[in-house]
Amino acid sequence: MKSIIVFSFFISFLFNTSIFANEATNWLSQEIDIILQAYKNQDLPNENKFLMVEQTINNNFAGAGIAKFVSGNAWNSATKETKKEYIKLFKRHLALNIASMMQGYSNQNYSLINSRYDESSKVTLVDMLIHSDNNDIQVTWRLKKSKERFFVIDLLVADISLVVTKRSEFNSMLKTVEYDLIEFNKKLSNQNEISYQKIIN
Amino acid sequence: MQNIKKILFLFLVLTFSTNLYAAASDEVDTGSADFETTIVEDEVYDPLEPVNRAIFKFNNFADKIVLEPVAKGYRKLPPPIQSGIGNFIGNLKMPLVIVNQFLQGQGKNAVESTGRFLVNSTIGFFGIVDVADRIGLEEKEEDFGQTLATWGVGDGFYLVLPLFGPSNLRDTTGMVLTYATDPINLYAASQGEGAWFIPLRTATNAVDQRSQIIDEVNALRNNSVDYYAAVRSSYYQNRKAAIDNTDDNVLTPVPLITIEFD
Repeated sequence: MKSIIVFSFFISFLFNTSIFANEATNWLSQEIDIILQAYKNQDLPNENKFLMVEQTINNNFAGAGIAKFVSGNAWNSATKETKKEYIKLFKRHLALNIASMMQGYSNQNYSLINSRYDESSKVTLVDMLIHSDNNDIQVTWRLKKSKERFFVIDLLVADISLVVTKRSEFNSMLKTVEYDLIEFNKKLSNQNEISYQKIIN
Repeated sequence: MQNIKKILFLFLVLTFSTNLYAAASDEVDTGSADFETTIVEDEVYDPLEPVNRAIFKFNNFADKIVLEPVAKGYRKLPPPIQSGIGNFIGNLKMPLVIVNQFLQGQGKNAVESTGRFLVNSTIGFFGIVDVADRIGLEEKEEDFGQTLATWGVGDGFYLVLPLFGPSNLRDTTGMVLTYATDPINLYAASQGEGAWFIPLRTATNAVDQRSQIIDEVNALRNNSVDYYAAVRSSYYQNRKAAIDNTDDNVLTPVPLITIEFD
């Protein structure tokens, strides 16, 4: 009897993690298509393409959570208003980064090759292979479920995490302004403007 | 009038649902456990940072005016020619890959790589056609830097090498060992052909590698508040994954400004 219970538990565990992974893959596929379709639409001006992509990213990335993590030590000492401004700027920065990368992939095919749910971290990982003529690039999406839907918490290209890279990059820049988020926001705002001009032209 | 009402209704529904989703995304909390980060990624040991930044600036300039344009031109070649060149260069690396696999105790991988080298060098026309991949002998890379890491040698400090790009003390030592022991280079040198063969091989490898990551490098370069720090972090993450053999069957090159010696 005991073995039947253990077996049933094991099967239901496997079944649940598999459902999680499949559900995540289907959801992710739809969202990626929205972004890629925006870039493939020749009639849409670049500004509108970016706005569409930005909206999709804002809706589906855990922007505020990532922003907080990436700011490291500077977060705690900042005021509520500064944090709010920083999150707004970070979300745009994140959208510009993803949009810039996805723009390069818009003419290539992709396939979602593998997905797995990690029970211990409650994170679903979905591997995407971007195919080009000579090589494939693997992108891994890290997804977290919250309130019955998924949110992207990180993106890894060739084992390089966007979030970890941003944290290191921001830390280096924050050091130069003595971890003052107000000063950092000015720099982030300037960078966003430069990136935006590049992406729309 | 009816249509305007419908459009207005649709607009309101879309706006409302979009704001709802965006607000929901703000409620997702993240912590260190979600990203597998360590203090190493936050604070890379970089005592030569001012010098490294100057060299990085030079490398970035060289990349923009030479390497990137050449890589873009290379990417316009017919795909079979590009893959033929890539395969040929990759095959030349194999003797040292095999040595490093043995040194790291990866006997099975070393045997497979030997089979791969023999198949591609013969049936694959000197490595131009990757026949081995089709029979299940996947390409796996190992170098002296990875071997030293496996033996417990630490990273040392971060270094940016002129033209060769990001590295660290251990990986630079590995690169010197590669130069000194590569049998193909040694053979070319013994025949008096090293002066042109080694630089040509290095440059071709750099162009081939760079051509595969044009979009990734541009995305990183155009959107970083501190491009130097972004590349430094990327280098460490990529090397860590290579040392840990996180994913053996994906051989995506490092998205960095670097002219790599193979």
